[in-house]
Amino acid sequence: MLVEFQQALADLTASPELCIQARRDPSVLHERYKLTEREWHRLVGIVRHPGMACACIIYRANRLAPLAMNIPKTCRALGKELRAVVSEYWAVFPEGNVHFFIETDRFCRFLKEKLAEGGSFPDEVASELEREAAIVADALRESETELLRYGALQIRPSNFALGEHDGRSWPSRTSASSS
Amino acid sequence: MLPPYGEIMVLTRPAVGLLYNPATPDVIEHAPDLVEYFAVMPDRLWFDFGTQAATDRRFHRTLGAMAEVRRHAKGRMLAGHGLGLSLPSAMPLDEAFVEAITTMSADLGGFLWYSEHLSLFVTPKGSVPNAQAGLGLPVTYDDEAFEIISTKLARLKQALGCRLLLENTSFFTPVPDMDMSEPAFLNRLYVEGYCGTLLDLHNLYVSGRNGGTPPETYLEELDPDAVEEIHLAGGDDFAGFYMDSHSGLTPPEVWRLAFDHVPRFRRLRAITFEFQETYYDRLRPEGLAAELARMHELAACCHVDQKVAYAG
Repeated sequence: MLVEFQQALADLTASPELCIQARRDPSVLHERYKLTEREWHRLVGIVRHPGMACACIIYRANRLAPLAMNIPKTCRALGKELRAVVSEYWAVFPEGNVHFFIETDRFCRFLKEKLAEGGSFPDEVASELEREAAIVADALRESETELLRYGALQIRPSNFALGEHDGRSWPSRTSASSS
Repeated sequence: MLPPYGEIMVLTRPAVGLLYNPATPDVIEHAPDLVEYFAVMPDRLWFDFGTQAATDRRFHRTLGAMAEVRRHAKGRMLAGHGLGLSLPSAMPLDEAFVEAITTMSADLGGFLWYSEHLSLFVTPKGSVPNAQAGLGLPVTYDDEAFEIISTKLARLKQALGCRLLLENTSFFTPVPDMDMSEPAFLNRLYVEGYCGTLLDLHNLYVSGRNGGTPPETYLEELDPDAVEEIHLAGGDDFAGFYMDSHSGLTPPEVWRLAFDHVPRFRRLRAITFEFQETYYDRLRPEGLAAELARMHELAACCHVDQKVAYAG
């Protein structure tokens, strides 16, 4: 089934672990997805292709982009822990959100929960997260640019203008292999 | 004097321009006469709240950016270039997305044409309309994919009322054992009247560098009459692969492909350069003006056959 094939391809790209598993034992793809033999052969060919590692790297880079752009100091404060935290986050939320503030806000909430659970992180993570998460929450609210908040027909004025290159003034798209 | 906004400039050669980003106004200010046209990405001119929208409004446009686009579009040709429809996804067309594009096109005076990508961006089993695959994934070219894509193109054409193009993208993992090649698939879409081709020469180069089809082989198979726009861009090396990062100027190998093949495209409407605005400090307006000047040299080598250019 094409739906299953496409989902399997997306899942493999998002998970180096699943790629390793499928390379080692391709039957795992039949167990997880309803595939025709031809689709299964295609997936096995793709997962064994040397370019699959690159696709996985780009997937991770693209999913990291909104976090690196919107909460750079929290990312820096996480240091070596960043890799493990984002991997866990992406496992819990395998679907990235095209709205970068929603994606970042969701990650901030996830990280706050980890901190509340007593997760061990460098000292400055909590303070940086607190500060940057508040900025992201504000930006998320501000991105509702067309809410009728101030009267029946009044469109809320936009704070978003061209000429700002900080990656926050425009909805962003990561470009690697996307256009 | 440039024609007023919204009027179609009839050129006997392709127009030269840019994919619009926040740095584009600065480039236009630096070299106004070299930018005859630009394409805007609706996906970058709104915030898509998906089904998580607190209100019933899913798309919130960046109104300041829209006003800037309107100002710079005066006297220039304007097209739309989308990413989010993910036409090859085995799922229904995102009708709310189509409606939002249609509204934006009308707001901006009407796109002369609209292009989308021939790759999979939205996961078919995602729980929200904008659930992203994380990057563009390759399409299996067969009758099933043709049926899905052509049906959606017909609906999109009905909604937008303008010419549609599909862009070849770059991949790191080719799909084995397909029924038809990508150029054969694009040729069929063209011949059957669904859309033309937006040929990204840098994407061809990227795929070729990473072990995919050699660009010359691809170009030999592609119907030159299908090509209505070309993209140029630059990239960089990473982890043993060459990336379509839009980080630099067009590489010499891509220029060679362009000058060898583009003059054959007698329906070509536009030559477009893409760059990522985060690299603007490195590219500099002077560098981009020189790139645009060379694109004009390429355009001067082409002759658009008016009898066939706007047919279909």
